[in-house]
Amino acid sequence: MKLEIGNFLIKDVIFGEKTMFNNGILTINKEEAIAFIKEDEHITDVDIVIAKPGENTRIVPVKEAVEPRIRPDGRAVFPGVTGDIEMAGSGRVHALKGCSVLGVGMHYGSFGDGLIDMGGEGAKYTLFSQLINICIVADTDEEFERFEQQKKNTAIRMASHKFAEYLGATVKDKEPEEVEVFELDPVIKRTEEVNKLPSVVLVMQPQSQMEALGYNDEVYGWDMNKYVPSFMNPNEVLDGALISGSFMPCSSKWSTYDFQNFPTIKELYKEHGKSINFLGVIMSNLNVALEQKKRSAIFVAQMAKSLGADGAIVTEEGYGNPDADYILCLAALEDVGVKTVGISNECTGRDGASQPLVTLDVKANALVSTGNVSQLIELSPADKVIGELQALARDGLSGGWSYDEILGPSVREDGSIIMENNAMFCGDMIAGWSPKTMKEF
Amino acid sequence: MKKAIHYINQFFAGIGGEDTADYKPEIREGAIGPALALSSMLNAEITHTVICGDNYMGSNTDEAIKEILSFLEDKEFDIFIAGPAFQAGRYGVACGNICKAVKERFNVPVLTSMNEENPGVEMFKKDMYVFKGGKSAAKLKDDVKVIASFANKILNGEKTGSADKEGFFPRGIRAQVWLESGKTGAERGVEMLIKKLNGLPFESELPIPKQDRVPVATPIADLSKAKIAIMTTGGIVPVNNPDRIQSASATRWGRYDISNVDKLESGVYKTIHAGFDPAAADADPNVIMPVDAMKTYLKEGKFGALHDYFYSTVGTGTTQAEAMRMAKEIIIKLEEDKVDAVIMTST
Repeated sequence: MKLEIGNFLIKDVIFGEKTMFNNGILTINKEEAIAFIKEDEHITDVDIVIAKPGENTRIVPVKEAVEPRIRPDGRAVFPGVTGDIEMAGSGRVHALKGCSVLGVGMHYGSFGDGLIDMGGEGAKYTLFSQLINICIVADTDEEFERFEQQKKNTAIRMASHKFAEYLGATVKDKEPEEVEVFELDPVIKRTEEVNKLPSVVLVMQPQSQMEALGYNDEVYGWDMNKYVPSFMNPNEVLDGALISGSFMPCSSKWSTYDFQNFPTIKELYKEHGKSINFLGVIMSNLNVALEQKKRSAIFVAQMAKSLGADGAIVTEEGYGNPDADYILCLAALEDVGVKTVGISNECTGRDGASQPLVTLDVKANALVSTGNVSQLIELSPADKVIGELQALARDGLSGGWSYDEILGPSVREDGSIIMENNAMFCGDMIAGWSPKTMKEF
Repeated sequence: MKKAIHYINQFFAGIGGEDTADYKPEIREGAIGPALALSSMLNAEITHTVICGDNYMGSNTDEAIKEILSFLEDKEFDIFIAGPAFQAGRYGVACGNICKAVKERFNVPVLTSMNEENPGVEMFKKDMYVFKGGKSAAKLKDDVKVIASFANKILNGEKTGSADKEGFFPRGIRAQVWLESGKTGAERGVEMLIKKLNGLPFESELPIPKQDRVPVATPIADLSKAKIAIMTTGGIVPVNNPDRIQSASATRWGRYDISNVDKLESGVYKTIHAGFDPAAADADPNVIMPVDAMKTYLKEGKFGALHDYFYSTVGTGTTQAEAMRMAKEIIIKLEEDKVDAVIMTST
């Protein structure tokens, strides 16, 4: 399977007469864009705001991030979501690099939403401060969940995917500045040189723990709560087969942007044919009941073994309860002789003294740590807020609170904030971006 | 200039060896013995040195600490340093004990240094900075240098680094740091796997710590006489959440009187737990906190008595340390009311 990602490097995003890409500048006709987003009758109010790296701007509550893309051959960028369901992972897709479409609540946030600071001290806590963010700031008619802590955020999330495709259309017929090629031969039809290298699978555990549908990550538009692990080509992941959900505490989240650019997949590709034989992705999930967790671990271990994997990287979109799935899966793989490395974050508490993962197993002897969800972060006021700052304190974001007898509320009168890393938008960069680790103090 | 006080034993004060180990506490002005090396590197004046015999500290610990604390009552100091104690066991334990007491009483930073073989390391490494020291006094200069460079950071108000960088024993505290190399999680993960696959040494970023297992309790001999309490981490509370228990990362708990109800009514109780779909629990809070079933069993005589209160907090994101603290607070109440057993429901 061969995928070509044609990259168009974005230098600036501005509003103007005509929505187009020219010479690194993406121009958006705001009026038309708003009309497009409002085609979904559930979007009752919407504005589009551009946030650039270095600005003293705070964005909250952020629900989703998507890289603008288009497929020149007319297939949907997110099959089964923004258009008909067709196989992803091969052919050509065009991407606007260096920017993302953010889905932002105009007023209300939910448990899995996050915060982004574009400049100052707060910028280091999320990758998205480094991108030009085209923010859809919207309100919806989803009254059933307006005051719920858990929200599906369907309208805003779907608007993000559709709008990313809308913007991607500006480069549909253009020649990209660079083309990244991702190609794997069929597993049993590889050259002798590749075959003699240690073979490796990537086991992904996307978030799927909400038993009510509509909150979880989706694969080809299918809710992953109702799913058992399957073998996938990594190109499918990079090419829009998965979209992010709306449930996990935000620093542990994989946004759709993360799936589209998954650094651990790209790193395995880099080593493919040199030091490893990258077999592909075993796409697992995260579960609620122990039996479900064990079932998924069995599926993963069997598939890895049958594929002849010598090694596996396991990575989870979550912390806390999902640690049980993560550790079970690592142990199940080690039990069948597959050497493992895990990539995840930790929850050691505000004082750093708690057990780092919910379950532990000595078989998980090679772990990469990408951050501490409960690290306290205090940040000074921002000049500009996109969205509504009170959402952090009022709406039950995983890293915010309205009242604490020692710390006070998360949002203070002067606009300064105190929060847990939990609510930093994709802050622990578990997809593989994280320059953070955990150290003993 | 900032001020420091130093603690040493009789041997390093030049008073004598084993024969003088019963030497009673004493405070002298200025720096003595190892403090001379320390004072040349420290951005603080060592105003006083406390001396105590190791045996005296070992066999009259409370008294010795009391006397030493009384010496310090009228002194101004910004930091307290003890040792280094190298491999000397009694000296190490003495340094740990006095540092701990000084930290508690005066709330100043306390530092000491010991060799990894010193029993004082295991006893005190979680309470203070214990630096990794040499086996004997031959390493004095090196050990003092490590302490001084860290002490200077504290005295200058500079940021201090991780245990491996600064040279102290890990205190069981883990925090996130940005790697100077900028190496990403993906790069580190793939690199670690390649090493593991090729049988090369690798270093896990999360060494699995020793497990803290709770022994299984002995069974109740006669259930018909037992008083049972019920408890949950499922966040069931009266609808107004009177104790303001957080929906995630809880630090608070509450207990609610159920002596006069047969079950928890929907609309009177609900869940505030943010880690699952609340619909079923809000419609019938008993599915998480089974007051209805317990009252029925009580009437049937399956057990002796039901404790008048149920206890509740939220488990999602709640750290093990906070959970342990809350449990300790709750246990006091349970013991007061002579509860024999607890049924804990999770979600």
